[in-house]
Amino acid sequence: MSFGDYMLFIIGAILVNNILLAKFLGNCPFLGVSRRMDTATGMSMAVIFVLTMAGMITWLVQYYILVPLDIEYLQTIAFILVIAALVQLVEIVMAKTLPALYRALGIFLPLITTNCAVLGVAIINIQAEYDFFDTLLFSFASAVGYSLALILFAGIRERFAMARIPKVFQGTAIGLVTAGFMALAFSGFAGLVGGGH
Amino acid sequence: MSLQKEFSKGLWEVIPPFRLVLGLCPTLAVTTSAENGMGMGLATTFVLVFSNLLVSLLRKLIPGNVRIAAYIVIIASFVVIVELLMQAYTFPLYQALGIFIPLIVVNCIILGRAEAFAGKRGPLDSIADGLGVGIGYTISLTVLGSFREIIGSGTLWGLKVFWSGFEPFTFMVRAPGAFVALGVMLALINFISFKLEERKRRAQS
Amino acid sequence: MREIIRMVVVLTVICAVSGFSLALVRGFTKAPIEYSRLKFVKEPAVKAVLSGYDNDPIKDRLTIPVGKNKKGKPINLIVFPAKKGGKTFAVAFEASAAGYHGDIGVMVGVDPAQKKLTGIAIVSHTETPGLGARIVEPNFTASFKGKPADKELKVGDVNALSGATVSTKGVVAAVNNARGLLDKYRDKMLQ
Repeated sequence: MSFGDYMLFIIGAILVNNILLAKFLGNCPFLGVSRRMDTATGMSMAVIFVLTMAGMITWLVQYYILVPLDIEYLQTIAFILVIAALVQLVEIVMAKTLPALYRALGIFLPLITTNCAVLGVAIINIQAEYDFFDTLLFSFASAVGYSLALILFAGIRERFAMARIPKVFQGTAIGLVTAGFMALAFSGFAGLVGGGH
Repeated sequence: MSLQKEFSKGLWEVIPPFRLVLGLCPTLAVTTSAENGMGMGLATTFVLVFSNLLVSLLRKLIPGNVRIAAYIVIIASFVVIVELLMQAYTFPLYQALGIFIPLIVVNCIILGRAEAFAGKRGPLDSIADGLGVGIGYTISLTVLGSFREIIGSGTLWGLKVFWSGFEPFTFMVRAPGAFVALGVMLALINFISFKLEERKRRAQS
Repeated sequence: MREIIRMVVVLTVICAVSGFSLALVRGFTKAPIEYSRLKFVKEPAVKAVLSGYDNDPIKDRLTIPVGKNKKGKPINLIVFPAKKGGKTFAVAFEASAAGYHGDIGVMVGVDPAQKKLTGIAIVSHTETPGLGARIVEPNFTASFKGKPADKELKVGDVNALSGATVSTKGVVAAVNNARGLLDKYRDKMLQ
């Protein structure tokens, strides 16, 4: 693929097929951490790092272990174990080498193990039959898209804290409705990429 | 608490995803129709009940610091079993639910119940808890799925419900509609809970 | 030290039991899965090209090895027979050829005795929407029905799609490939 194709591929992953707003991956923590900007940014950094690494490692596991041994049906369990182990490893290494960052991320790092975005993107990489480099790009771009949605959302919700919202909508409910309108906005990007296919 | 109470709390008190705000990803993604919602709910219930049972049976044997890893292996195994069974016997549903079947393994409901309940209670209680929460979840998914299907596609369980001139509000079966529908339903449930609480308070005074 | 050993042992045992049970479940679901996959993914195409049979073409399918791929794994051709009273009178199988944008997979139905095509159905393609993608239209596919299966099919023999010549040629090429497969494996297909 040419450079232009790669740019479209990346933009597509970030905006058009935003894994959070279009593909519904990573919603649980989304509503939890997006109330404040600092938690949103913390989660974003952690997601970008873990998702990119997990995408690469699960790809290697799929094509060098699962396929040759004909145990592709164990994909789910192999991938989640890889992700859990990766997150543990990252925690240990980060605590020793980048303690300030480790403290800043706090609880979000272990929480990423159950973030459906990570496992979801890992599976999508295989289903779309991406090669290693495409996997790397897609994982990174998806994570960036996720972070974008997260940070935008946190900005909006911080404003909400000042508004008067009916009691039944307070908290998660209004968050969901807002996310819906954000998703609507992002779906406007739909015609942007891949019109030729 | 009696077995019946352990079961029934899953149907209202801690009903996911409304009062137990977990398991949102599949809720938003697969509730495009009543059938898909129910299918996902039942698959999740299967995994939830069996993993709760196994975690409860092994709770005294699993050392504390590896319990999350052990829970993940147990849950993931049942998810693979569900995947295989669905591919073999309910293939169209398997295709419809797609990537969200393997994603059951990271459905926070299951890990949440294993950690908060099954890891500390006996097997019978754990089964009741799993069944209650699972069926509650299935009900939520089916109701939400029906709502979105009726408004978004004009059908319910594949059968047309509106007159032929009706233009379905397709927004509802797409991504934005999912968020909005869930938000509105959550507001509704909040409304009902507040009213119930008020009535209880008034009855006490 | 004892704690670490205990951790390792417990986890290993859990993994072993899990692996064993999964292999077991995999074992007895393998056949139903293959059947389901074929039934729901291919059956619509098979039904579109075969008719008048009293058997289950999916269940009675034949798997014919037709070579090996780069890694040495055998490539199989799956043939769906249409039978009446136990005798095969027509077969359906997939063939492919390059279209405008990637390969086009075509399910071809052949009546070997009459040497005619019983019909075609497009199984997979990535052609341009509105142009090449129109190969799935009934107007196009129906024009293949009844055409001779014993000589080379030409674009002029069917309702070619205007503005989508390459896609049309691709489908025709796939049908000719199917004819080649029929010639080569006729006996095996009609057993």
